[in-house]
Amino acid sequence: MSQSLPGPVIASIKGLTFRYPDAQRPAVKDLDIDILRGEIVILAGPSGCGKSTLLRCVNGLVPHMYPGEYKGSVVVDGVSVADTPMSMLSQKVGLLFQNPENQIFMFSVERDVAFGLQNLSVPRDEMRARVDEAMRLLGITGLAQRAPHELSDGQKQRAALAGVIAMRPKLIILDEPTSLLDPQTALEVVSLIEKLNRELGITFVVVEHRLELLTPIAHRLVVMDGGAKVMDGPPEQVLSDPDVEAHGIGVPPTFELYSSLVKNGMRLEGVPDSPEALARELDRR
Amino acid sequence: MFWLSSGFIFRRVASPFGRLDPRVRLLVSIELFALALLSSDLPEAAGVIGVVLVLALSAKSLRRIGRTVALSGLFAVFIFVFNILFRIGLYFAFLYSIRFLAIIGSTSLFFLTTSPDELEQIMKWFRVPRDVVFAFVTAVRFIPVVMLDAFQIMDAQKSRGLEFEKGNLLKRVRNIVPILVPLVVNSVIRSGELAEAMESRAYGSTPKPTSLYSMKMSWLDGAVTLASLLLIAATLYIYHVGVKL
Amino acid sequence: MNMIEFRDVSYVHRTGTTALSGVSLSIDKGETVAIVGENGAGKTTLVRHINGLLRPTRGSVLVEGKDTRETTAAALSRKVGIAFQNPDHQLFSESVEGEVRFALRNFGFAEDLATRRVDWALNFFELDRYRKSSPLVLSGGEKKRLTLGCILAWDPDVVVLDEPTVGQDALQKEKLGHIFKMLQSTGKTIIIVSHDVEFLWPIQPRLLVMAGGRLVADGEMAEVMSDSATLERARVTRPQLLRLYSGLQRRPERPFLGVDDARTWAEGGR
Repeated sequence: MSQSLPGPVIASIKGLTFRYPDAQRPAVKDLDIDILRGEIVILAGPSGCGKSTLLRCVNGLVPHMYPGEYKGSVVVDGVSVADTPMSMLSQKVGLLFQNPENQIFMFSVERDVAFGLQNLSVPRDEMRARVDEAMRLLGITGLAQRAPHELSDGQKQRAALAGVIAMRPKLIILDEPTSLLDPQTALEVVSLIEKLNRELGITFVVVEHRLELLTPIAHRLVVMDGGAKVMDGPPEQVLSDPDVEAHGIGVPPTFELYSSLVKNGMRLEGVPDSPEALARELDRR
Repeated sequence: MFWLSSGFIFRRVASPFGRLDPRVRLLVSIELFALALLSSDLPEAAGVIGVVLVLALSAKSLRRIGRTVALSGLFAVFIFVFNILFRIGLYFAFLYSIRFLAIIGSTSLFFLTTSPDELEQIMKWFRVPRDVVFAFVTAVRFIPVVMLDAFQIMDAQKSRGLEFEKGNLLKRVRNIVPILVPLVVNSVIRSGELAEAMESRAYGSTPKPTSLYSMKMSWLDGAVTLASLLLIAATLYIYHVGVKL
Repeated sequence: MNMIEFRDVSYVHRTGTTALSGVSLSIDKGETVAIVGENGAGKTTLVRHINGLLRPTRGSVLVEGKDTRETTAAALSRKVGIAFQNPDHQLFSESVEGEVRFALRNFGFAEDLATRRVDWALNFFELDRYRKSSPLVLSGGEKKRLTLGCILAWDPDVVVLDEPTVGQDALQKEKLGHIFKMLQSTGKTIIIVSHDVEFLWPIQPRLLVMAGGRLVADGEMAEVMSDSATLERARVTRPQLLRLYSGLQRRPERPFLGVDDARTWAEGGR
């Protein structure tokens, strides 16, 4: 029997160490992270740092699809990931992948959005309602009958996200969702994340290299390197840390400027969330 | 390529024939297919083609199906010559060719008017196992994607100096390796990503997934089914059992 | 000297969609040019015309004065090397070494010259330890380096990079920046198709903006990007430092090229 965790923690990772069967070293080492309800968390780090493995440990692909040497615990929305089947986990945690093409299986958008619900034996009427709601939230109601090869990459990502939303998870993780999209489309996806977080209270963990896309909406930045968590805190705090670049993190120019001005003694009002904001602040002085 | 796509790949067009329940469309196509196979004289075979074309009209796809049947004429000529060489006789050689066209027409009629979603529903109705149905639908869905991959791979290898047009037969066969290997590798990678996405959306949780759509027969479906069965019975009786007209 | 020339080029797909419309431009030997624009604007189509993978339906493309229609893509590729976005679309050999050698063989390099070129490429891109390994087991970043190595091994005069920074972390992007500078110093003509305006900004290339199959802007990056109306219509974002510069009431003559410039200005000589 599982009940929702009391208090604000939606996912709790304790002492997590996981090694793939044919690997010499663990992909993630001794991780301790608590994700709070309603947070938007950026997960960053150099290639090979274990970010992708961590995501899969949270949504259950590790260990259910990728068995290996597993130590520690991951508890999401009251259930232990290792001991709960994917059918249950997929209703608590959703995972959106990088390639828009390879996560749409069906021949029409609405059929694909219904995919998860069909697998959970949701009755037709309820399925219809949830599919329509998910498409409405993602603004793709007009694309319901379209085939995937008729959609742009941005539309495909939205369709895939609708399919995840239809399962009503409380936590959604995204594995570099915008890296194959152009910047404007990427911004649209980011504003969708912000809207879903605000309107439905969904918690988001996003793996992303281009931090400037997400820092305006993120509450927290977690940096991983070599399988371990090396930094964790509000984005402005983590990005001001001089060690952050050594971990392969690209600090957005606006932030780098702000942070070095402040360090040299300039007094500036609040962390700028855009270059324009910093410009206004500099003009004010 | 063109022949295949114009006659056999689904096109979304609202039409009277398209509005029939997919199972009824399947029944009608199978009936025509069977008649075509069994037809013992020219009027009968030609009659089947005639019916196909009339139904094609009701499916607003007369031009497409007509074109497919016409393009199949090449194969039909081949069959004709083949049979002549085997001393079958002019009349029957001609009959077999016409039969072939009728078969193509009736098959094309079904596939042109039935979407992969409907094919999926029909397969489920026939109790085809869940995984087979899924494999089929996914295969159809990814055909355009894999084709695009193949073109991009050819472009990439051409850009490394690979010449497709030149060389003897052996060389040309060897030139397939730089295309085939990446294509296969990409497909494997794609399958892996698909598998992850499927698992993450609870695929496999139940042997009997529910369905967003349902197939419902209307009075029109019933009427068409009855009428077609009667016509088939009559035709079979006239041509193969009794009365010679 | 004109390396590449497009004369009123249009390209229409067999399906009827127009991918390029009336594109005219010329690129000199040794120039560095960046092409930006949203997905579907025609950037990749344009670039495929340069090595003859596509031939214009109207107009003509000339490479070193010769019309691309008069030769094959494979032959043009000897001069124009394109590094496509997805390395998995080209790696197939049994070994990394064989992979680099593939193009050299196709272009008719003598065996001993080929060996030297292979050695150089593997060393420069730090892939020598994988020499005998299968290219398929390399990591994403290593694969990208390998494909670039394959191209530079045959030393084309023109190097085209198609979205080289996608999916790369900050350290990998830094390495790419160094390679880029190296290419510029050897006098190669470089064309880079990229969404990553932050990566492009310090390079300050000549900028071509594509939108709806047309070339809507062509000039110095700083100048082109100050035209926010055109950029908005083309759905192209501007680099942060330029946005900062534009947002200032009081500002220096030229936009900041790096964070250090901006900081020096902000702290001192205003």
